[in-house]
Amino acid sequence: MTAPALRHTYRWDLDKTYLRTEFDTLGSLIRTAFEKPADKRAVPGAPALMRALVAAGAGAHRICILSGSPRQLSRVVAAKLALDGVTADELVLKPNLSNALRGRFRALRDQVGYKLPALLESRIGAAAPGETLFGDDAESDALTYCLYADLLAGRVTQRELGRVLDAANAYPDVRARTLDLAARVPGGDAVQRILIHLEGRSPTAPFEHYGARVVPVFNYFQAALVLYQDRHLDAGAVLGIAREMLASGEHSLDTLANSLQDLIRRGRLGIKTALALGEESMPLGSSLAELAPQSEIARTFTARVRALGALPAAPPAADAPLLDYPALVAADVARRRDAKRSRDAKRSRDAKRSRRQDPDHR
Amino acid sequence: MIRIAVDAMGGDHAPDEIVRGAAAASLALTDVELILVGDARQIDRLLREERHEAERIRVEHASQAIAMDEKPAEALAAKPDASLLVAARLVARGDADALVSAGNTGAAVLACSRHFHLIAGVRRAALAAVYPTEIRRGDKEDPFSLILDVGATLDVTAEDLVSFALMGAAYATRISKNPRPRVALLSNGTEAGKGPKEIVRAHELLLAHTGLNFVGNVEGVDIPRGTADVVVCSGFTGNIVVKMLEGVSETVMRLARYAYKEKLVWRIALGMLSGGIGRLKALTDWQEYGGAPLLGFDRLFIKAHGRSRSRAVENAIKVAAKAVRSGLHDDIRKRVAEFEARRST
Repeated sequence: MTAPALRHTYRWDLDKTYLRTEFDTLGSLIRTAFEKPADKRAVPGAPALMRALVAAGAGAHRICILSGSPRQLSRVVAAKLALDGVTADELVLKPNLSNALRGRFRALRDQVGYKLPALLESRIGAAAPGETLFGDDAESDALTYCLYADLLAGRVTQRELGRVLDAANAYPDVRARTLDLAARVPGGDAVQRILIHLEGRSPTAPFEHYGARVVPVFNYFQAALVLYQDRHLDAGAVLGIAREMLASGEHSLDTLANSLQDLIRRGRLGIKTALALGEESMPLGSSLAELAPQSEIARTFTARVRALGALPAAPPAADAPLLDYPALVAADVARRRDAKRSRDAKRSRDAKRSRRQDPDHR
Repeated sequence: MIRIAVDAMGGDHAPDEIVRGAAAASLALTDVELILVGDARQIDRLLREERHEAERIRVEHASQAIAMDEKPAEALAAKPDASLLVAARLVARGDADALVSAGNTGAAVLACSRHFHLIAGVRRAALAAVYPTEIRRGDKEDPFSLILDVGATLDVTAEDLVSFALMGAAYATRISKNPRPRVALLSNGTEAGKGPKEIVRAHELLLAHTGLNFVGNVEGVDIPRGTADVVVCSGFTGNIVVKMLEGVSETVMRLARYAYKEKLVWRIALGMLSGGIGRLKALTDWQEYGGAPLLGFDRLFIKAHGRSRSRAVENAIKVAAKAVRSGLHDDIRKRVAEFEARRST
């Protein structure tokens, strides 16, 4: 039997997108490196969403994971995914050790210079007509993914890409390889949606200039609602994701209902879609019945929609004009450099303070 | 999950500073759901610019708002969909556990009196305020004393003063974690017979029928000294006292700023004292205290200062959450019932 033709690729970042990873301090970074698969924690709802996307494709959907975690973790990551019932079609991790051994320290933190060629290479290997990308607000996922989307769509020229890579301070071989991949990648307006998990609870306003394609989400119930609206998931799948989130103990009907209201207020989910989901969910409600009575679920969700009163629905997010990628990348590099400096300064202040307070040090 | 309704449109700096304070509180308080009541469009515009926890924030649209200078009764009658009223109704219905507003004080007290019920045995509500003193109290070394009433009930009876004392003691025990707060009546002399007749009678009742740690009368000078942890007075007296204390604090800071600009020697001296002045400023900064609870109703209302910025709003929400979490109302009910029982026997 032949495999069905590839219809859609879902590309996922790992840390802070799928996994709840802490690497803000050296201690947490080291702890993360030595965690066993069972110790790694997925963001509630992420495994259920990934499983639902695979199931919805009946073999025509592809799951690709691209992460900045070191390659040495690939076995642990694969084992963790297996524990969650997820099989990735592709798992690409960063060659941090070889970068360090070759003295390419810039590459350890470089976002565009690592992720963009990896995305292009993956697409050259298997190009689906549609793609949905999942990232987070910890690094520069929204920017890198938009650049990738506009490159595929032919909205970014080779010349402009060269300027972007210069702004990103990419190594010459990375620059040449990326330009080569961009010239060979199967084009098209393939990227339909970019979902950014707000692990750091960043304000949503800065993401608005990327246009309607980028949707910042506070959790995977919101992601599921967007994908239901995009017709990637049915009501049953959305309920399944809600169920996993409720079972995690980190969510309640109220937090899910507030998440729904937040999306409506931001103009990212139409009230009609929310109501249609409610109607479709009614006969399926038994899947949540053991967690909450059907009437309570309906009452909680309806109350959040009604609380917005007779206000006209928020206008849908606007499409973005063509972005000035070289400027955006330069600003992003400067922002991350400043953030690193301020983190280092704080670390040094804290160390001095703790030395002063340590009685053995006086 | 504790639910707190926040009047997003009330206050000199509403809705901007209110929404910012609520956004910060949503990140800090993991067991609290905030219901922001007001113009949904404006609230949402502001939330988009702030870090916040959307899972624990819901917006309840209200099409009207009461201004700070409106006459309370007229404003409440003319604006049935005012954010303050919508929020008060949410609390009255049990959809929220507490109300926080930095808006028009008179309208807020009136809205509460219309929608909430007085606790059995309490005849009048009291607005309480905290003030920093020389003395530290309880495990947390709390420097604050509580003064009530500071404006909700202008004319009081002796019984009202007793219920204020019981409510104040419950608040100091639950919120300041002071297990046995010293309670005093504010009068013009420390002797038992000093003061107007309601003070004299309240003194007798507090001694005879309550198990409070009642330390008798105190004078105005004793408030900043911290002689008592709970200072009880009429709303008329209390309002004058807190406004004067606030004025003194602001004047001291203004004088320090003036001195800093005026002479180099004074500037150097102030520089040497800057650590101490900073601590004094932090101690007397009302934005740190959050807000004043309105005690006596079956539902909790925290009145934040009208000039509240985001930090004060965040602290007011934290105080409201703490009061709900600590079971303050049950404690007040119990103390008032015990007083009534003792008195009847």
